[in-house]
Amino acid sequence: MAAEADQLRAGPGGVSHPGPAVRGVFSSPALRLAGRRLLAAIPVLWGVTFLTFLVMNVLPGDAAQQLLGANATPAEVRALELKLHLNEPFWVRYWHWFAGTLQGHLGASLTSGQPVTSILAQRLPVTFELLLYTFLISVVLAVPVAVLAARKPGSLADRLSMVVSMAGLSMAPYVLALLLVLVFAVQLRVLPAIGFVPASQSLVGNIKSLTLPALAIGFPLACFYTRLLRADIVEQMQSEDYVVTARAKGVAPWQVLVRHALRNSMFGLLTAIGLNLGTLIGALVIIEPIFSLPGIGQVLLQSIADRDVIVVEAVVLVFALIVVLANLLTDLLYSVLDPRIRYGRPTA
Amino acid sequence: MAAPLPDVLLPPGAPVPAVQPRRHRRSWAQDPEIIVPAAVLALIVGACFLWPLIFPLPPPVGGSVLDSGLPPFSPGHFLGTDPVGNDIFSRILYGGRVSIEVGLAVTLIGLVIGGTLGSVAGYLGGSVDSVLMRALDVLIAFPALVLAVAIAEGLGPSELHVIWALSFFSVPAFARIARSGTLSLHGRTFMLAARLSGTPGRRILLRHVAPNIAPQLVTFGLLGMGVVIILEGALSFLGLGIPDPAPSWGNMIALGQGTLSVQPELVLIPSLFLFTMVLSLNLLGDGLRARWGSQ
Repeated sequence: MAAEADQLRAGPGGVSHPGPAVRGVFSSPALRLAGRRLLAAIPVLWGVTFLTFLVMNVLPGDAAQQLLGANATPAEVRALELKLHLNEPFWVRYWHWFAGTLQGHLGASLTSGQPVTSILAQRLPVTFELLLYTFLISVVLAVPVAVLAARKPGSLADRLSMVVSMAGLSMAPYVLALLLVLVFAVQLRVLPAIGFVPASQSLVGNIKSLTLPALAIGFPLACFYTRLLRADIVEQMQSEDYVVTARAKGVAPWQVLVRHALRNSMFGLLTAIGLNLGTLIGALVIIEPIFSLPGIGQVLLQSIADRDVIVVEAVVLVFALIVVLANLLTDLLYSVLDPRIRYGRPTA
Repeated sequence: MAAPLPDVLLPPGAPVPAVQPRRHRRSWAQDPEIIVPAAVLALIVGACFLWPLIFPLPPPVGGSVLDSGLPPFSPGHFLGTDPVGNDIFSRILYGGRVSIEVGLAVTLIGLVIGGTLGSVAGYLGGSVDSVLMRALDVLIAFPALVLAVAIAEGLGPSELHVIWALSFFSVPAFARIARSGTLSLHGRTFMLAARLSGTPGRRILLRHVAPNIAPQLVTFGLLGMGVVIILEGALSFLGLGIPDPAPSWGNMIALGQGTLSVQPELVLIPSLFLFTMVLSLNLLGDGLRARWGSQ
């Protein structure tokens, strides 16, 4: 019922492109979109790896020098460079890496000799867990608060949430991290300040060890989502015909808010979440060392300092893949939320 | 009764345009959502750049170990001293200069380069647009922090290098905003009129596109400047920001991390300034957006 009412809403452009919809009958539009997006992602991913290689190449010093230290003789450095193939021209090294990656061999670390896949397997779970926890915190905080605030624009709850979210938005994640440590670890002593407990050791300890870092990144994010979602819901409630229709039918106010307005406002939130993922990953790189978490952030910083281009490439590739796939997933979720979306031609 | 009525009733004709701008200008100065954050910003910027010129201040670096670790409100050291004996108030003011300079420079670089790239891409369209946007897609999909870290690491820590590194965040972001703003002007009557009257592209971009996308870019710039100031601190946390003895709000917070449980004010004081600055920028950006959006 509610979904039907939603679909009656005449969106801009919803009816004006019948062509692609007709063609879409022949194959699943969502799958075609996925295929097209994945194809479009290939040059982007290639560009990312190339840029990474280029930047690492431009940096002064190479892995051999970093490994041997300042006291090494030029002959020693030269010998190690030969061994690590660092003496070869840029294009050759890039092609070597690129061809290997296409075949699924990400190579081995220049400094430790450890296969990159085993480094990733060791570190990524920690980072992914933190990423998931942060995401959960931000959405679980944002959605109810935004709905509560949007219920009565200008009410006390609304203004309070706007003040708090503006403050949260203006807070640097690392400042919040230190404040949280000060309050919860130093003063109250309820959560650990640093360190990571694997889930296999203790599930409660694991969640406890990730709570402060996840809050430090998740809270400012939640504030951003709250403001976005609240503004969107208020706009929907004030201007959309389907809201009037639902009200006129006698749908309970809460139902209108949650099942009609919120559902439609989720689009904006999804887009923001997809776009924010890159920033979120950047925040992880800074927050992980503050809490001594053995995640991918530390590996990345260390490998940049070591000029270990193989490891840097692998990490950057994983990050870029996450961003590309998340944006694809967002687009696919659109068509689940709103079946009218057919993805004819991309709109500006 | 007859006299006041014409005064009220006549304006729907000619005088309306004369009345409208005056009302706008007055409410501009009266709008607390713009005046308050603008005043706070002016206060902070003024304090950082003028106070050290007018009032005697201990130097921000090279303090005496004998004065180390004084609590706030100590005689001669209003906000106390850090573990090496530098006056914190002085470091806040001089550090604020660095943070503001970095924020402003990165935002301006983004505005000029990104704004130009984006509006040219949006205006020309076609292959120029596709190539530029693909390049920006790469920069956006690329974790910008990695690039910033690599640049700061490669060039060595200094204020100028931090500015270069952070500009890789601002240029693509501004380019996107400028491009979508320019695209939304496509097909507007004045754009068509300018093109039909044979105005050269450069002139259209400068005289017609730029003024129309400026409000968007400026509000985005204000919000972005807050982010840049935060990111400058983030680089400090990685040891890649402003090099150690010289202060910036970011590296003061990063340095204070070590003594968090003993002397939390070393983190709290610069954090408070950073927060106030970013909050004012955000509020001003929001206030201006609301005002320009309603026009």
